[in-house]
Amino acid sequence: MQHKFSANHKMSDLINENHSLLLVISRFGLHLGFGDKKVCEVCQTNGIDCNTFLAVVNFLSEENFEIENSYENISIDTVVDYLKNAHNYFLDFKLPSLRNKLLEAVNQPAQNLPYGLIFMKFFDEYVSEVQKHMEYENDTVFKYAKMLAAGKLDPNYSIAIFQERHNDIDSKLEELKNILIKYYPDKGSNHLLTEVLFDILSCEIDIISHNKVEDYFFIPAVEAIERKLNAAQ
Amino acid sequence: MDNELLKIAIAEPSVIIRSGITVALRRIPDYRIQPFEIVSNESLNTYLRLHKPDVLIINPSFWGHYDIAKLKTETQNPALHCMALLYSAIDESLLKGYADTISIYDSVELLKEKLDKLTKSSLDEISDENNALSIREKESVICVVNGLTNKEIAQELFLSAHTVISHRRNIAKKLEIHSTAGLTIYAIVNKLVEIDEIKKNLLF
Repeated sequence: MQHKFSANHKMSDLINENHSLLLVISRFGLHLGFGDKKVCEVCQTNGIDCNTFLAVVNFLSEENFEIENSYENISIDTVVDYLKNAHNYFLDFKLPSLRNKLLEAVNQPAQNLPYGLIFMKFFDEYVSEVQKHMEYENDTVFKYAKMLAAGKLDPNYSIAIFQERHNDIDSKLEELKNILIKYYPDKGSNHLLTEVLFDILSCEIDIISHNKVEDYFFIPAVEAIERKLNAAQ
Repeated sequence: MDNELLKIAIAEPSVIIRSGITVALRRIPDYRIQPFEIVSNESLNTYLRLHKPDVLIINPSFWGHYDIAKLKTETQNPALHCMALLYSAIDESLLKGYADTISIYDSVELLKEKLDKLTKSSLDEISDENNALSIREKESVICVVNGLTNKEIAQELFLSAHTVISHRRNIAKKLEIHSTAGLTIYAIVNKLVEIDEIKKNLLF
């Protein structure tokens, strides 16, 4: 099947074509300064499986998911590393940075709006929800997937268990967005508030697309291996 | 507009028709639709089993004829609405089990009507113009923010537990805020409560 991007595209073209791929590229551990190198060259230099990289990039670029059963060429280890890097990005970088910006935007002593406390309580509850969600994936699901990739089945776990319990983690962020858009009394011009809202919106999109990769790319790929190993038994 | 996301799977072998439907679905107003394109018979089963979409739009003839009832049971999707995608007139007997049909000449308006018909039962009772909270609902918000349980709210406001639950559901729907922490922010920035009143609930 023909896909949007192939191994011979220039890495820099990917970013120019679709700037959200910048996040994907960085989560694969590929660093900027690509020059005119092709996708396959950059992957090779960095020891990243090029097929898997392209599969994720195309999955995210071709807005509609085409579900096809071609997971033989996917390296589960590479996908897991990618997803783990995304978790680190959210927990160690993006959410703390959002928290700082939010605090700065809502705590404006000049306007006497001492809302920091309530917003932080809300935000910290959200972060601990995300943390629990991602820790389960890191500690249980990804370990299981790596074992499968090494050819070992686990009689006590299956990816269907994960699929069943995998919940959305964007609902609280959506709430925060609604509060700021619909209910927050904005006193005149507040660039900080606009900025943090903009960041929340892009973080929401990022988290949703991260979950899509897990649901519609990672889970079916793991399930395909599960089926193969079960059939071989 | 707080519509639930509607997951629609499109099983159709032609990429042009398939993506055309996807684009048309996204243009339907008042719906949040997540389309999924399914390109083979095998992936249809996997997808239905794993992801339980709300609606399946499927070309009834391409991969052999489908027994819709069997497809629903096999993939554990009893509530799945199946719509047959038709290029031209087709023998009625082949349409057994489908909730409706879609023609490749349907307009966006017609698609909307058909989706409305399928999902009407699940549409919310609240009309979208009136999202303001009633007095009772405001009182309930204040109680929630003060840390009262549903049972305590019922006692405080002299309501049945059932009524409190229905108030809370309406509040969540109207405001699009579901968590207590979110309601707390709402209540304070809208001056339903003073921040000092509830400080003790914030610090634990």
